[in-house]
Amino acid sequence: MTEFSVPTRTRGLTRTALPLEAIAARISHRFPEVETSEAYGELTLHAVPDQLVALLTFCRDDEELDTALLSDLSGVHWPAGDHVIERQASTTGWPEYRVSREQGMIEVLYILRSLTRNHWFRVSVATGDDAPRLPSVTGVFATADFHEREVYDFFGVEFEGHPDLTRILMPDDWIGHPHRKDYPLGGVDIPYKNDKFIPPPDERDLREVID
Amino acid sequence: MAIDPGTEANLSDDALELFVEGADWESVVDAVEDDTITINMGPQHPSTHGVLRLVLDLDGETVTKLTPIVGYLHTGIEKNAEVRTWVQGTTFFTRMDYLAPLFNETAFCLGVEKLLGIEVPERAQAVRVILMEFNRIASHLVWLATGGMELGSTTMMVFGFREREHVLDLFESQSGLRMNHAYIRPGGLAQDVTEDFVERCEALLELLPRKIAEYEDLLKRNPIWNDRLRGIGPLDAETAASYGITGPLLRAAGVPFDLRKAQPYSGYEQYEFDVPTETAADCYARFLLRIEEMRQSMRIIRQALDRLPGGPVMVADKHIAWPSQQSLGVDGIGNDPEYIRHIMGESMEALINHFKLTTQGFTVPAGQVYVPVESPRGELGYAITSTGTNKPYRVHVREPSFVNLQAADVMARGQMVADVVVVVASLDPVMGGVDR
Repeated sequence: MTEFSVPTRTRGLTRTALPLEAIAARISHRFPEVETSEAYGELTLHAVPDQLVALLTFCRDDEELDTALLSDLSGVHWPAGDHVIERQASTTGWPEYRVSREQGMIEVLYILRSLTRNHWFRVSVATGDDAPRLPSVTGVFATADFHEREVYDFFGVEFEGHPDLTRILMPDDWIGHPHRKDYPLGGVDIPYKNDKFIPPPDERDLREVID
Repeated sequence: MAIDPGTEANLSDDALELFVEGADWESVVDAVEDDTITINMGPQHPSTHGVLRLVLDLDGETVTKLTPIVGYLHTGIEKNAEVRTWVQGTTFFTRMDYLAPLFNETAFCLGVEKLLGIEVPERAQAVRVILMEFNRIASHLVWLATGGMELGSTTMMVFGFREREHVLDLFESQSGLRMNHAYIRPGGLAQDVTEDFVERCEALLELLPRKIAEYEDLLKRNPIWNDRLRGIGPLDAETAASYGITGPLLRAAGVPFDLRKAQPYSGYEQYEFDVPTETAADCYARFLLRIEEMRQSMRIIRQALDRLPGGPVMVADKHIAWPSQQSLGVDGIGNDPEYIRHIMGESMEALINHFKLTTQGFTVPAGQVYVPVESPRGELGYAITSTGTNKPYRVHVREPSFVNLQAADVMARGQMVADVVVVVASLDPVMGGVDR
């Protein structure tokens, strides 16, 4: 019977959580270029792709931060153009969303969690959406393997250094990256009776179909 | 043995011909340069918990590499949610991990509520906790049942599903559905619990401890169960952390990490319960741990029932609360005549609000949140991005099954083929959650 000893780095919540300001200060001290923001009680670090691996390695190995767990890795596509949503702002008083981008980008979010201290924070990295490319963090966190394949599958982000960057959830021969906002909705043509093909729902003219 | 592999020329449709002759095993083996054999397990295999495909590299009967191949059940739920309203989202996410639907609903709703900045009424929170803990028991029962079946214990299979059925009966009585309830909604619950809710829970709390003791008697000292589970699929804490493993697997490696304690949500801080841990970090430890977790769940339910507060189960804000006011008539649950009179005969504004909420839904402030809950399989997190519209801009789900499956490789290496079944069973992956 093997009995495993539990290493110090994962021994459970033995220390108190660092306040978000302390985390931000600690990272700003080591990486002055990293911008920090706080919303909804959550801390986000905005890193540049070149520093990503160094930043995540620092967060993992640092005695104070000690984020041994990469909880989550996900992507968000922000296409180019003006995005203004002010209709709600006038009626509800919520902050309006207004953003204008010359170049579209894909934002990749890393959730880092500490097992010994009860804190977590988010690292956000952006890359252009025409040829998205980021360094892989599989060398820092083994769990990034599936996550990065998923982001590649859905957003087309090439993770440099990933051991096996292939599609994971979509079929191998799928064309396109479905979670991008410029990916056409509606799916595929449906063969119907009399060898007729019905176009996808958003391109369908019902008067033609029901003739 | 001579298998003509066929050249380009003779592979045309009419010329394809294979020549198979008998041969001694030695000559077959000698012909293979590398001793490693690669075989497929799944995607249609009774012990892979759905459509999971495992590619095994075997040296004799020892696994040298295991590659999980997923995606056969991908349904694009995250993408679908981007074109539905926030309330409709619940209906989608509940279908991901179909053994833990209430956890998916709660996690998504907690995220939406965090963005909205609203606090759910206490009664709704307590009912959420009770239902989630019953859901945890039901999920662990399925794990015990399917795990038992894969090891040849059909008795355990029947027992596990039998008791789970009682839990599903409770869910059906409250939400109308055995699975995929869409009962927990942003802002509270779809409707209040029935009058006999507490009574039904009490009956289950009376039944389940006896049954769980029975399973322990059946399995704990069972020599086959012990031989098949002890020392199989080891995963120590450090490896688990690097693979992002949470939940029972991490706790079976000695790390008492539980989000219900670490970051309490839905009022978990009010309840007294322990986070069980084991140190053996093998499949047997995970079995003991899940049994103990079911007991702790019942402890929480007991306390929640004792102090179940009264009051509403939906936020008072009529801009958010789903406007379906229902009442119990002679022919079952239906529209509340009072409410229908109000919107149809008394208040034009109420009718407009009803119409807007049901057709467009409410809007949610812009921002990004990440809300995790402790599901039966580990950290279930919802990373929600809103741009201030009536639909989510992007919802990403951190599915514990998806993440945990990566560790199957390190757990199965060096073990026998038959142990792969045990390793995958101890991971407890639900393919609906893995593939989403």
